Parts: sequence; C-alpha cells; structure tokens
Amino acid sequence: MTWKDALDALVGKTPLPKATIDNLFAISTASVTMQSEMNLKASSTAGLCFKPIESSQYDAARTEIEELLQISSKETGSTYRLTTDEYRFTWVVMEDPDFEDLVTGLHLVSQTLIERGFGSYLLCAIFRFENVKPVYWIYNFKQGRYYPFVPAPDKTRDNALEFRMRSLLERELPIEKDTGMWYPLWGIPL
Amino acid sequence: MVRWPHDLGLELRMVVTLFLLMVIYFVFIAVLAYIGVETLFLVAIVAIMLLFQYFFSDRMVLWSMGARVVSEQEEPRLYETLTRLCAIAGISRPKLAVVNSAVPNAFATGRNPKNSVIAVTTSLVSTLNQEELEAVIAHELSHVRNRDVMVITLASFLSTAAFFIFRNWLFSGGSVGTGGRKNDKAALLLIIPILAAGVWLISFLLIKALSRYREFAADKGSAILTGNPSHLVSALMKISGQMAQVPTTDLRKVEGMNAFFIIPAISGSSIFNLLSTHPTVEQRIAALERIQREMKG
Repeated sequence: MTWKDALDALVGKTPLPKATIDNLFAISTASVTMQSEMNLKASSTAGLCFKPIESSQYDAARTEIEELLQISSKETGSTYRLTTDEYRFTWVVMEDPDFEDLVTGLHLVSQTLIERGFGSYLLCAIFRFENVKPVYWIYNFKQGRYYPFVPAPDKTRDNALEFRMRSLLERELPIEKDTGMWYPLWGIPL
Repeated sequence: MVRWPHDLGLELRMVVTLFLLMVIYFVFIAVLAYIGVETLFLVAIVAIMLLFQYFFSDRMVLWSMGARVVSEQEEPRLYETLTRLCAIAGISRPKLAVVNSAVPNAFATGRNPKNSVIAVTTSLVSTLNQEELEAVIAHELSHVRNRDVMVITLASFLSTAAFFIFRNWLFSGGSVGTGGRKNDKAALLLIIPILAAGVWLISFLLIKALSRYREFAADKGSAILTGNPSHLVSALMKISGQMAQVPTTDLRKVEGMNAFFIIPAISGSSIFNLLSTHPTVEQRIAALERIQREMKG
C-alpha cells in the first residue's frame, strides 16, 4: 500500500486499474509450443470481451471498432461477429485460419478501446486451442498476464491440464502467478 | 472516455470529518493525560478488542446475519457476475454469501479483498434483474476496494474507548478513582466521565456522517465499475419500493442485528438506509444522476 493508495482509501476513491496490452502478442510464439509440446492446435477463432458503457462516447468508439473490423477483415480475409452474452458483456469473436492475424486483430480492437478511454472495461482476450476438448489461454488486461482455463463438465475445471499448460509455457508466456486470479469464464462463445 | 467524477465536496467532507475526529481524540487523550488517568491500559484493551473485530468481523457478521457462504456451483450467476467485476477492478475475488430473508438487502464485510465476503439476501436476487444485481454487487465491491472496514475501524477506535470509560463510570456508581482516596484530584476526576460522554457522542455523530459519505463513495464506485449509474438507481428504487411493504417485524429484526455491534458501520454496510449510517435513497439517486451527467459529458 503506497501513500497514494492510503490517501485514496481515506477519501473513498479507488480508481480502476489501467489496461496493459504489451504482453498480448506473447501468445503468438506460445502457440507454436502448444502445438509441438502438447499437440494442441490453435483454433481459428479468438475473442475479446468487454463491458459496454452507457455513454455517447462509448457508442462512437463502438462504431469506430466496427468500421475497423470491416476494413481489417477485407485486408486479411478474417470474419468477425459481435455478440452480447447473458451478463450483458460485449464479445468480438474473430475467425481466421492465420493465428497471427487473429492476435493482430484483437490487439487492434483493444488498442482502439484503450485510446478512446475505455481500457478499464476490457475484461479479457481469449485464445482457444484444441485437440479433443478445447483449452483456453485467457489474457487479463489488468494484470497484463495470461492464465490457462480448461473447462470440464458441470462447471468444473481440469486443473491438472491447466498446471501442465503453465509449466510448459512458463518461459515464453507471462503467466499470472496468483492462481486465485485465474477466473473461470463459463459459456465462452467461441 | 470514463473519467473519475470528481466530487471535491464529498472528498473534502470526508477529510474534514476525519480531521475533526482526530482533534476530538487528541483533546480527549491530552486531557486524560493531564489529569493523570491511567488510560494506557484502557486504550490497550480497546485496541485488542478492535483488532479482534477487525480480523474476525467477517465471520462475526456472517454468523449474526445468518449468512451462508455459498459455492460457485450453488450460485453460478452471482459468482460469474462478481468474477467479472473483480477482473475489471483487478482484485482477487471475495467470497459470496446468501441470507435467507424477505428484505432485499446486501452487505460487505472483511478487511481486504481476499478475506472479504459479499452477502446478498434471497429476496434481492429474486427482485432485481441482472444489471441491477450487478450494480448492487459493484456497490458492495466498492466498499471492499475502498477499505471501508479498515477506515471505520480506525475512525471508531477512541470513540469506543470513550464509551467504555463512560460505561465504567456508570457501573462503578459514579465514582472514578484508582483507590477512592479523597483528595484535590477528586473534583477533577469528575470531568472524566462528562468528557468521555461528550467525546463519545460527538465522535458517534461524526462516524455516522463518515459512513454516509462512504456510501456515496461506494455508489460512485459502482457507477464507475459498471459504467452504468442508472442500473444502481433502478436497483435502489426497486429496493426502497419493496421496503415499504415489508412488515415491521422484519425491520426490527434487522435493527436488532445492528444493535449487536457497538459500532454499526463495522458490521458491514447495507445497501439500504435503514439506519442513519446511510443517506436517503433520494440523496443517493440525485448523486448518481450527477455522476451520470458527468460520465456522458
């Protein structure tokens, strides 16, 4: 707790942490290791989840994102869709056989949101890998780190596989050390 | 972009309130020291008591409210809502508890996010829609993020000490003294209970004011966290509308629970203004609408 934190606590003001985007690209090299070491192939879909805001500036930002997505999908040939889940969060789901294009696309969208001042509302970026069942790498924008998520039936998690993913990719992926922050996300729309 | 709506007035009021508390405490200690009362022992006892409350408040409150900590499998919707808010706030997730009650209410307790518990009543969950429920959980999460339990515990420290001095004096038949020896000091010692009572009364009012300011701050925190102040407004309106129909026995039950604690705010913070520790719903809605205008601008 720094002095500023203490002062903020004293007047009941705790600002939201800013989003860090720098480590997002680390998944590109990690995807190669996932394939070679674990036989888990990067899926052609990836997603970005954020919270919509009640403001005209947010509406403008969203329109800008849609335009950006249209332009970039023409260039790279990727497709995208925007959905809202049952918790009223917005998802940008991109589809492209080229994994690099997926990462670049999601980076572009999050960068735009950050530039327009909505970076705090970025929940996560999700990259899907699969062999028999899907496994995910979730990027937490607040910590700027990844963590694994392997859903199992009945809203349980395959922790063993998650820990294996961590130990194999520890060197090339910035992974969240505190497993208490490995928040699950059920019903991922990709 | 979403800026933190600066409410300099509110922040100033909090600082002034805390400053006044400190002044009162300082005068209190100074006078006691001047008279030569062995306050150190008493202060130590109160410190231990408050430390105990600080570290065990979460369990004590949950037990007294009949709140049951639930697992992720039992309440997936509540947990998912809380999880997402925590991810946005960048903090570790508190536990969730459910109170079986017909009064729509919520409270937060615990000294830091890891040891915190956010509790909601069954009727709150059934009354509110997803967005409103999220707004209320965000309000409670803001209490956790703002470290309200710590702030109020510190603020009430000497108020509790003063209360005990006054109570001791009442129970000892109105005499304060170490051995009951008659001397010139006896008259002077009579000041102590009066002083203690005064300190307790004034600090009590100041702490209540402080709690009200913390409520406004938590409302603001909820507005920022959800990005939608209007959802908390509609939640507050729904809750307050429903409150009018609830029989008084329930109200008394809730009120009795609060009396269980010496310092009401330590018991956590409830979303509704049953107690004067909370501003009125109208005031809160007006403040939220101001935030909404600022966020849009």
